[in-house]
Amino acid sequence: MSLDFSVLLRFQEALALGLWTTVKLTLICIVLGCSLGFLVGLSRTSPSAIVRGIASIYVEFFRGTPVLIQLFWIFFCLPLVLGVELSNLASGVIALTLYMGAITSETFRASLKSVGREQMDACIALGLPRRVQVTNVILPQAVLRAAPTLLSNCISLFKESALVSAVGMADLMFVGQNISNNTARPVEVLTIVALIYFAIAFPLTRAVTLVEGRILKKLAI
Amino acid sequence: MNYTFDFNAVSLGPLLDGLIVTLKLTVAANIIGVVLGFPLALLIMSRVSAIRMPAMLFVEFFRCTPAIVQIVWFFYCVPMLFNVFLGSTTMGILALGLNLMAFNAEAYRASIQAVPREQVDAGIALGLNPLQRVLYIVLPNALRASVPVLLTNGIVIFQQSALVAIVAVQDLMYQAKTLATETYRPIETFTIAALIYFAVSFPVTQIVGHLERRRQVMTS
Repeated sequence: MSLDFSVLLRFQEALALGLWTTVKLTLICIVLGCSLGFLVGLSRTSPSAIVRGIASIYVEFFRGTPVLIQLFWIFFCLPLVLGVELSNLASGVIALTLYMGAITSETFRASLKSVGREQMDACIALGLPRRVQVTNVILPQAVLRAAPTLLSNCISLFKESALVSAVGMADLMFVGQNISNNTARPVEVLTIVALIYFAIAFPLTRAVTLVEGRILKKLAI
Repeated sequence: MNYTFDFNAVSLGPLLDGLIVTLKLTVAANIIGVVLGFPLALLIMSRVSAIRMPAMLFVEFFRCTPAIVQIVWFFYCVPMLFNVFLGSTTMGILALGLNLMAFNAEAYRASIQAVPREQVDAGIALGLNPLQRVLYIVLPNALRASVPVLLTNGIVIFQQSALVAIVAVQDLMYQAKTLATETYRPIETFTIAALIYFAVSFPVTQIVGHLERRRQVMTS
């Protein structure tokens, strides 16, 4: 068969629009998901067993089920449960934020654990209030140590965001599939879509390695 | 909310049929991934760049694109490009297997490189030849170290296998989707399906956690 990539030239704008939706969704969920993840990560070190239990169930459940089914659940069931109409974007944001919160909470938990017990003891010795302990002592160290893993979590989120195409959100994957159905040229269109995802995710994975090296160096001093 | 739940409306039969397909996909993909991931890891670490580069490109491509794109690509493009027509389950197994192969190759590479230099030096001091050093020192160490990551990757593929529902392989996710539209009971159906997925993957993640903790105790 003959390949003809020129058909794609007509669809540049549509693909760009789809990519913008993907990027927008990813960025919103990175911000919301990381904040949620940090709070949940903290809750899992909480002295109260109830808080710890709820946080663990949330994390285990979201890590133990496919993202696709979470997405379907939130798209089709949440409006029924809440009794309100949710826009496509809102459901997508909720689903991916909850997913991102679950995976980053594990990252934060690991990095919180690596912040030495002495630091906490020093805070207590200095008589710092709990809020200052968290924001000025624990948070900076935890974030610094978590940075490389957080960055890989962000890349995972970027990739998982393609799933929203399955529930009809017009992201890059959805636009690509539409174009491929309309032009009957799946090979060209899907290959380009895959290459676009690759062109964004690959440099980011290299950045993870760089950041990792930097931080290791800094912490070793 | 004024929704009355009716879990009886959901018949478990089709869901369990779907689970069997899902498990088949997972096991077959894992066999491909675990067996072929290792030679791929060796190719990535090759000193010859003509061997290393294509292998790295393969791995990076699978790691840096969404799994759903890979699966849709595989289902649409492989028959067109290569003129082969396989059953949908076989296609699903191949797509998931190749994906897992790339991730497992990375896991093997990391654990091979993590074998302490001193151990290899000790092998040299004992007068073992290079092949013996690889077979008796590097391999057993590396394989044991990679078990938790391999298990984690395996369970990730179990979850990713839900994606083949989009290309109409009749796995658990597909059955749940069909059942939800047939019965108009999306909440009950998707909740049960999610619980089934959870029931399979949770014990495995607990085992992985246990193995990792034991390893930490052993190495510290």
